[in-house]
Amino acid sequence: MHFFTGGKKVKKSGSNQRTRRGKWIARGYLFPSAAGVLLFFVLPFLIVFFYSVVDNPINRQFVFFDNFVMVFQNAAFQQAAKNTLTFSLTAVPLAVVLSLLLAMTLESKIPFKSQFRTFFLSPMMVPIASVVLIWQVLFHYNGMINEILTFFGRDKIDWLNSSYAQVVIVVLFLWKNLGYNMILFMSALSSIPRDIIEVAVLESATPFQIFWHIKLRYMSSTILFVTIMSLINSFKVFREIYLLKGDYPYDTMYMLQHFMNNTFNRLDYQKMSAAAIMMAIVMVIIIGILFLTENYFGKDVEE
Amino acid sequence: MEKLKKGLGAAAGLMLLIAVLSGCGKEEKQGGQSGKEFVYVPEYANLAVSCDYMNSITAAGDYIYFTGDTYAEEEGGEYRSSLYQYNLLENQVKELMKLDEESNKSLSSMAVAQDGNLVAVFNNYEDVTDENGEVIDSKSTLELCRISTTDGSVSDTQDITGALGESEWAYVQYLCVDNQDNIYACDGDGGIHVFSKDMQKLCDIKADGWINSMVTSREGDVYVQYYGNGSGTEFRKVDVAAKKLGDNVAGISDGSFGGIYFTGATKSILVSSNDQVSLFDISSGTMEDLFKWLDADVNGDNVNIAGELSDGRIWAITRDYGAEEAKYELIYLTRKKASEVKEKEEILYGALWLGSDLRKKIIDFNKTSDQYRITVKTYMTDDYETGLAQFNADLTTGSCPDIIDLSSIDFHQYASKGVLEDLYPYMEKSGIRKEEYLENVLKAFEQDGKLYGIMPQFYITTTLAKASLIGERNGWTLSEMLDFVEENDPENVFDYASRASIFYYCIYNNIDEFIDWETGECSFEGEEFIRTLEFAAKFPEEYDYNQEREEGLSSKLRNNKLLLMQTSISSVQEYQMMNGMFGEPVSFVGYPNGEKKGNLIQPASGSVGIGAKSKHKDGAWKFVESLISEEFQDSLVSEHGNYGFPIKKSALEKQFELDMKPEYYEDENGEQVEQMKTSWGYDDFSMDIYAATQEEVDGVKALIESCEKLSGNVDNQLINIITEESEAFFKGQKSAADTAGVIQNRIQIYVNENR
Repeated sequence: MHFFTGGKKVKKSGSNQRTRRGKWIARGYLFPSAAGVLLFFVLPFLIVFFYSVVDNPINRQFVFFDNFVMVFQNAAFQQAAKNTLTFSLTAVPLAVVLSLLLAMTLESKIPFKSQFRTFFLSPMMVPIASVVLIWQVLFHYNGMINEILTFFGRDKIDWLNSSYAQVVIVVLFLWKNLGYNMILFMSALSSIPRDIIEVAVLESATPFQIFWHIKLRYMSSTILFVTIMSLINSFKVFREIYLLKGDYPYDTMYMLQHFMNNTFNRLDYQKMSAAAIMMAIVMVIIIGILFLTENYFGKDVEE
Repeated sequence: MEKLKKGLGAAAGLMLLIAVLSGCGKEEKQGGQSGKEFVYVPEYANLAVSCDYMNSITAAGDYIYFTGDTYAEEEGGEYRSSLYQYNLLENQVKELMKLDEESNKSLSSMAVAQDGNLVAVFNNYEDVTDENGEVIDSKSTLELCRISTTDGSVSDTQDITGALGESEWAYVQYLCVDNQDNIYACDGDGGIHVFSKDMQKLCDIKADGWINSMVTSREGDVYVQYYGNGSGTEFRKVDVAAKKLGDNVAGISDGSFGGIYFTGATKSILVSSNDQVSLFDISSGTMEDLFKWLDADVNGDNVNIAGELSDGRIWAITRDYGAEEAKYELIYLTRKKASEVKEKEEILYGALWLGSDLRKKIIDFNKTSDQYRITVKTYMTDDYETGLAQFNADLTTGSCPDIIDLSSIDFHQYASKGVLEDLYPYMEKSGIRKEEYLENVLKAFEQDGKLYGIMPQFYITTTLAKASLIGERNGWTLSEMLDFVEENDPENVFDYASRASIFYYCIYNNIDEFIDWETGECSFEGEEFIRTLEFAAKFPEEYDYNQEREEGLSSKLRNNKLLLMQTSISSVQEYQMMNGMFGEPVSFVGYPNGEKKGNLIQPASGSVGIGAKSKHKDGAWKFVESLISEEFQDSLVSEHGNYGFPIKKSALEKQFELDMKPEYYEDENGEQVEQMKTSWGYDDFSMDIYAATQEEVDGVKALIESCEKLSGNVDNQLINIITEESEAFFKGQKSAADTAGVIQNRIQIYVNENR
């Protein structure tokens, strides 16, 4: 849009002034957000990067990438990375698939839909400390699950101090997260255009074909969102494990956040920062792949 | 232009970042005098009267009144006692009356009335005799009277024994006078008895608990502080009109023992805790903190009485009860602008908590140093974890204290992070040869040949057993210890031992036997650990403290019902007593340890290091140096043994010489007979201690030489894991092997993480 009419320099100047003023006002409005992002996201990240390249937070001697090499070779870090990866690769797909199945089940015509929905959402309302207490009662060596096992003549299992520990954590994670994911999927399912499904039915498409070619494609962005959220939540499972077993749990429950938490407490900021940066890089790669996948599956829907 | 703007923006962002990061290293003004507008400057005055004990001290305006007792050796070793009036403004004393003329009478407490004269309570002790004149009993009476502060004359004497209750041994703990000249006498049982100006009983008021303090406020009301029933300490007005205690005054004691209370001159009450001095205004319920005792170079633990003078100064009388020659000190504290006070280089002393010995040493250092002044920052205000987190935060943000108190922190962890300075170069620079000190004790704070901490004084924690049973040795492995106990099969290993304490004894001072830090391998699944678990399980879960003790400790040890005794040795006298207790020679075998070095060193009066990032390292070293100076080390030598050995060899030798020096008395034939130096006791055993023999001193020397490790330097995380997992075994829920497996698994992560 041009306001310049007849070469009057005064008018042009006034227009520029307004534009400049508008820019400054925009910057003024933007400043709080930009400052917040800088202060709470960019700056901490830079500080973490700073600590990752110095020998320790007290001496602060530049050591280049030595910390990354040291942490990468550390047996505890390797164990934590392996456990975290195993847990995420198991728990996240299960959380997505099971919640999608639940959502589809509740979308179909079954009785007590509303009650089931409330039932699956209820774990979200229970405080985590109480959840952990219940879990301790259930999975303690003399807990309810082992009582049931012994009733059927099986040996007791030390659930929280054995290789079964991660199974307990996966179950706890699913119990806590399925309801929320399910609600997201139900919302996505309800927003799929009915006419397309009706046309597909008229064209004699099978339910599987409708699910695969229509529903799944329309829900691709929701699936991506749920996957990312579940992935992030899978890293947060440290909270439950910490409440169950403290700083040093059985090795199958030892997660990356244990490593970071413990190294922080022992003033090994350099180890913590190097581990955090490596974890962030892996996260960026995984989320990047998820975005590419979503773009690939969802592009014809967007078109 | 656009590029320039972007460049400027980026530069601004970078500067912001640098500012934040560099702010981390900026020296922060800490506690103490720093940043304060006003400070209180102490001035020490010699008391104008010499007395060994000052009792019944009461203050009014610029005067104090007290009874002064002096030991008169030339008069047959009796105490001379007088009542004094002391003018604090002019530092002059006046003797009002002599109190020792009647041996059966003593002044127990007093207060100043509105006319400036004293109201006092005398205790009279009388022997009750039978018809033959034989003493068959004694009784005590209490007399309330007035004493003129002009000439010391006594008037208006009244017997108040019956008025204080039925007990024949009633006494007056505190005495106060209000603005109506009513007299308040507090007995030792929570009772307050109020008398009118003409000494007629007005009423009795009872507090719900034991009264800690009674004070008259500036306004002329009388208040008591006492432990309420389950509500902590309470501070209430004594309401004579209502004949009861008033409502709790909030803000002055608040559920804890706030301190001691004195009548204020500018506000209602002056409160002195062991930490600071404050003024409390009752009408507004506000407390004004004046200063910290430590900042004014006064040890708050030693303050007997304090108050405000009419010229605005604060005064205090202190007495160092810990000193060998304790004497009273009168201190005037003048409020001055901080800018008017001679500036000294400030040294920050960081401690989780400050022990009394180091507190005293800091005060002495501040008093004597013209160049440096130590201010203290204590981190453990709430709990240990919070305090440690705050300390760590200071380290990482560049606010590292100049001197770090190593009590309650794992010095290895901080030394390996570069927090602590190597002290050997400082010693060398100051011409201090480490050969002059007990090198094995210095070694306790060594890491990779560098010295990260110093303790001026230490004692030894060890385990004793009969030499006839265990042989002459000063160390053993865990297997040897288990074999020894199993072979002898005693009732118990130690006195009061439980399953957990025995397990703790076997493991926690020996944790390195199960962890190889070089290879990162743990051996908790090994035979030895499993055997230890099974061994501990044989003993009772809890010691039954209610059971009747038919035999004392010494008797049990002599009869082999107990095999071992965990104890500490802090003096030659204690060593002598321990030998006496077993009734035969003992071996100081120590805690089980893979290297057989189980006699452990424990700092007796704290330990300190210097912050590697300190900007005042020279000043910090001056303080640390003073702890190992000849003068200070010699001051630790005590006639009858101190609580701990000095680390300087020459001082230790002086201590040994004193320990071996016999003391004599002259018998009726005029002959010198050796007498006991002191006596020691433990449980059922007591012993007169005579001069130590050369053999005993050699034994102590050998014991000291056998030590080189610090006691209790195990990470709590390891203790928590082992305690948590072993519980299941002790409760019979799991096998020893399974328990050991879980412990191995969890500790392996800890070890891997910390390599």
